[in-house]
Amino acid sequence: MASPAATPSKVRPMTAPGGQKDPRTQKWIDLLHRVAREKDRTAFREIYEYFAPRVKAYAINQGISQQADELVQEVMTSVWRSADKYTDSLASVSTWIFTIARNQRIDLLRRNGRMKAEIKVETEELWQIPTEDNTISSIQELSAQRHLQASIGELPEEQMIAVRKVYYEGKTHQEVAAELDIPLGTLKGRLRLSMQKLRVMLEAKEL
Amino acid sequence: MSGYHPDEITLMDYSAGTLPMPQSLAVAVHLFMCQHCRSQVKQFNNLGGALLSQAEPRELEVQGFDDFMADMDKAPVSEAAKTHARHVNPLQAFLPQPLDRIDWHKQTRDIHEYDLTKVLEAKGFRIALQKIRAGARVPEHSHKGQELTVILQGGFSDELGVYHAGDFISRDPSHSHTPTALQNEDCICLTVLDAPIYFVGRFYRLLNPFLRW
Repeated sequence: MASPAATPSKVRPMTAPGGQKDPRTQKWIDLLHRVAREKDRTAFREIYEYFAPRVKAYAINQGISQQADELVQEVMTSVWRSADKYTDSLASVSTWIFTIARNQRIDLLRRNGRMKAEIKVETEELWQIPTEDNTISSIQELSAQRHLQASIGELPEEQMIAVRKVYYEGKTHQEVAAELDIPLGTLKGRLRLSMQKLRVMLEAKEL
Repeated sequence: MSGYHPDEITLMDYSAGTLPMPQSLAVAVHLFMCQHCRSQVKQFNNLGGALLSQAEPRELEVQGFDDFMADMDKAPVSEAAKTHARHVNPLQAFLPQPLDRIDWHKQTRDIHEYDLTKVLEAKGFRIALQKIRAGARVPEHSHKGQELTVILQGGFSDELGVYHAGDFISRDPSHSHTPTALQNEDCICLTVLDAPIYFVGRFYRLLNPFLRW
C-alpha cells in the first residue's frame, strides 16, 4: 500500500488570510473556558444556542432524525460537564464538539443495534477525543483551522458534495455513488482530489 | 514512525465515524503507533468541526436553553462526562493480560492465536491476535474479503514488502501471500478479516474446512 506521506502534491497553497487570531474562533474558546472555570451559564447559553441547532442538523444529515433531539441533549450535556477537559491547543471548539457528537452518534447506533459482547467496548477507546499531540502548536492549529474553513469554500462543487455526503451524512461510498449516479471509482477519485487540496492547504500552514 | 499506513479514505471514514468498529480498532491501534496518521486524523476532525459550524442550523423541537439546563441539573452525572483525552493503546481495554502474558491458543508449531471476535461485538468479522514464531512462515493464503493487519511487535515479510511494528497492511482478494516472520523475534499482529481466508497450497487446502469462522 502506498504511504500517503509519499504522495507528491503540486496544488498551490492559498495564501493565509493574515496572521491575527480569528475573533470568531477565539470567542468560542473564551466562552468554553468560562464554562470550565466558573460554570458560567450565560457563556454556556451562547454556546448552546449556536451549537445545539447545528448538532441537530448533523443528526438529521446522518439519518437519525428520530433521535436528533436526544443526540443534541447528550452532546450538549457532555459539553457542559466536560468543558474542563477541553484543551485549546488540541482542537478548536467546533472540532471538539464535532468529535463528541460523532462519538455520541456511534454510541446511539450501537445501542440501537442492541449488540451483545463479552466486553463492552467503549466508543471512547476507539475514537479518542483529541489527545495530547505536540506536533502542531496552539496558534498554528487555530490558524490551520481557520484556513480550512476558507479552503472548504474553495473546493469545486462536485468534490464538496462528495466530501459532505461521505463525511457528514455518514453514508457508505456505495450509497453516495448510487445517489450521485457515478461509478464508485469516480467518487473515490473526487474524494482523493478534495483531500489532497485540503491537506496541501493545511500542510502549508504547519511548516 | 511506521512505513505503511491506512489510505486516506480509510482515515477519513474513521474520523467521520462511519468505518465499522473492527476496522476502526485496527486504525486506532495503528494511530497509537503513528504520529503521521494521528496528524492526518486531526485534520479530518478539523474538517468535521468546520462542516459542523457551517451547517444550516435546525430548530430544536422542544427544548429551550432553560428547559435543557433544568433537565440537566436533575440528571445524574455519569456516562456523559467521559471525554477525557488519553493516549493509550486501545487494545489494552480488551486484553485480559498484557501482550507478553496472553493465553495463546496453539494452531501450529509456529502460529498461535488469540481470538477477539467474541470479546468484541464483531458480527461478520473475525478479529484476532496472531503470534508467528521468529523466522516461521505462514502457509500461502488468500482472502475472500479484506484483511487488515497491524504489527504490534516484530515484523514479517511477504511477496510485496517488509513490515515492522506499527505498520498497517491491507490485503484484498487479489492478493495471495506467504508472510514470513522476521528472524530476530516473534511477530505479533492484530488481524481483522471481513470474510474468511482460505489456504491455496495443495496440502494446506485440506485445512480450509477446519478453519474456525
